[in-house]
Amino acid sequence: MAMLSFEKKYRTRGGTLIGGDLFDFWIGPFYVGFFGVLTIFFATLGTALCVYGAAVGEGLASQTWNLWQISIAPPPLEYGLGLAPMMEGGLWQAITVCAIGAFVCWALRQAEISRKLGMGYHIPVAFGVAILAYVTLVVVRPVLMGAWGHGFPYGIISHLDWVSNVGYQYLHFHYNPAHMLAVSFFFTTTFALGLHGSLILSVTSPKKGQSVKTSEHENSYFRDTIGYSIVAVGIHRLGLFLALNAGIWSAICIVISGPFWTRGWPEWWSWWLNIPIWS
Amino acid sequence: MKIRYLACLAAGGLLLLTGCERPPVDAVQTGFRGVGMEHIANPRTLQDSVNAIAERVPTVPDTPASDQEPAPEGTWENVQVLGHLSEEEFNRTMLALTTWVAAETGQGCNYCHVIEDDGEVNFVSDDIYTKVVSRDMIRMTQDLNENWQSHVGEAGVNCWTCHQGQTKPANYWFYDPNPDTVDYNRYYSDQEGIRVISQNALSGDSDNERDIWDTRHLYWLMIDMSEQLGVNCTYCHTSARFSDWEESPPQRVQALRGVRMTRHMNQEYMAPLDPHWPDDQRGVLGDGPKMQCATCHAGAYVPQYGLPATNAELWPGLQRIGDPHPGSPEYNPGTPAMMSAGQAARALGLHPSEARTAPQDQQDDDQD
Repeated sequence: MAMLSFEKKYRTRGGTLIGGDLFDFWIGPFYVGFFGVLTIFFATLGTALCVYGAAVGEGLASQTWNLWQISIAPPPLEYGLGLAPMMEGGLWQAITVCAIGAFVCWALRQAEISRKLGMGYHIPVAFGVAILAYVTLVVVRPVLMGAWGHGFPYGIISHLDWVSNVGYQYLHFHYNPAHMLAVSFFFTTTFALGLHGSLILSVTSPKKGQSVKTSEHENSYFRDTIGYSIVAVGIHRLGLFLALNAGIWSAICIVISGPFWTRGWPEWWSWWLNIPIWS
Repeated sequence: MKIRYLACLAAGGLLLLTGCERPPVDAVQTGFRGVGMEHIANPRTLQDSVNAIAERVPTVPDTPASDQEPAPEGTWENVQVLGHLSEEEFNRTMLALTTWVAAETGQGCNYCHVIEDDGEVNFVSDDIYTKVVSRDMIRMTQDLNENWQSHVGEAGVNCWTCHQGQTKPANYWFYDPNPDTVDYNRYYSDQEGIRVISQNALSGDSDNERDIWDTRHLYWLMIDMSEQLGVNCTYCHTSARFSDWEESPPQRVQALRGVRMTRHMNQEYMAPLDPHWPDDQRGVLGDGPKMQCATCHAGAYVPQYGLPATNAELWPGLQRIGDPHPGSPEYNPGTPAMMSAGQAARALGLHPSEARTAPQDQQDDDQD
């Protein structure tokens, strides 16, 4: 496979976080690295455990290979923060460890690649926010509430059941202020990506016989239509800001539901009605 | 500049937290592990509520009389529903009643019984409406403890369960002409069903007559019931299939029995009292007060969190439907004066077709 012009710089040995030059090599275009090996280990083990769970029908009334119904469920609440028997949520605990291991190792591999490139840690930090949201769901909130059983099950339909039931526990989850922010940030992220993507596709797809347009065209377009162009660097900063906030507020909205508020979210807004100005 | 921003953020965050609670919380698993079927409560908030109620527990004679033989003929006149008691037990029950219901008035026996010009109490007279109401309510309590143990449990209920020392329990309802309120009439007195999910295609000559207003009424009722009982949606439902009984927690059956019990109380005991209420106890359409879940539950999943003071165990007078004392008239509640939806509409000057309930042919005992 031919090397692209910038790959020489990418393929610099060193800059590893631990382990010296252990696994510090490439297979084809892919960097391996110590954390790459660990990621493969955790991901493979975790997936194998999921398949094992599906084979024995863990977390279900009966065994199934229906992809929609397979579910690996967390332990019952009675086990608290202890280890549960393998077929009563222990499998979920092991898979959770594998998942966190794989995610964190992948972020560390991203950090090593960033070091090799001499660039900032924007990418591992951004991915770290996604990991934070997951860890909040299956570790932070369960620990605050005193049982691993508060985590969500690993199954396509079953995790949706969990989302739905947990939402209705607070009567109307859309009244959760952090959920409002998270949803708004998610929508704004996709909106910004839509605007940005359509702009880039436009300038890079010129009519036959014309050349690819430049950033001046991009800026002119937005200055003409909405009176302002955030410019090329700015849109990426804005995109990062919006996407990270979506993840951060998602994590906040679920960690406050239960540990810091047990009643309906509509009722939480009583503080607004009780402000001394008008009450 | 940065420090100022951080300070603002920290202050804002703290301000938001003041609206919140703190961990740890209590959780009870109510469904299969992992699907989020849990009841979550803050034990400190709950304890505060329990303590507040415990402070109100009244002091009443708490030992049943040693003699439980029915009083001999001629002991009383006009005792229609407590004739199965001994004189000692009867007097004990009357004393407790005064504390349970009329403590706040300070009137003692006179809250229900006439005091003659010579200062003597006339226990026979039914001239004060509260005596008629009390008799009706005692009969209702006996009925609940004898026939509705499926909802009130073996421990049963007494007057304090709902009255809490007040002449009127805190939560009741009247016919309400305002369409933007919960239509209690529809569910807690009529046999109107609340099912809104159509089982038929919505096109052509479909017989589905439910509309968005039915859905809205159902939603209001459910949210209202959730507030009245202090529980969330998943206390009685799995959210994937709200209507499905097979997947619902058993509490939903308990709630259904409660709704039927509420209807029974409103139809058999509250409605017949309509002619007796003085004007200042009536609603805008002239009807008397009626019951709902919160009349007894008052925001708790078990009324008064099941304090022993709510039980019927120590009160032989309330445990079963009582007999009239020999020579006294039979208990006769009178004719139910329940207003139908059509009558309510006419009383408002509307055409009966504008009544708030659904057509008669959709009414079905089975629809709950």
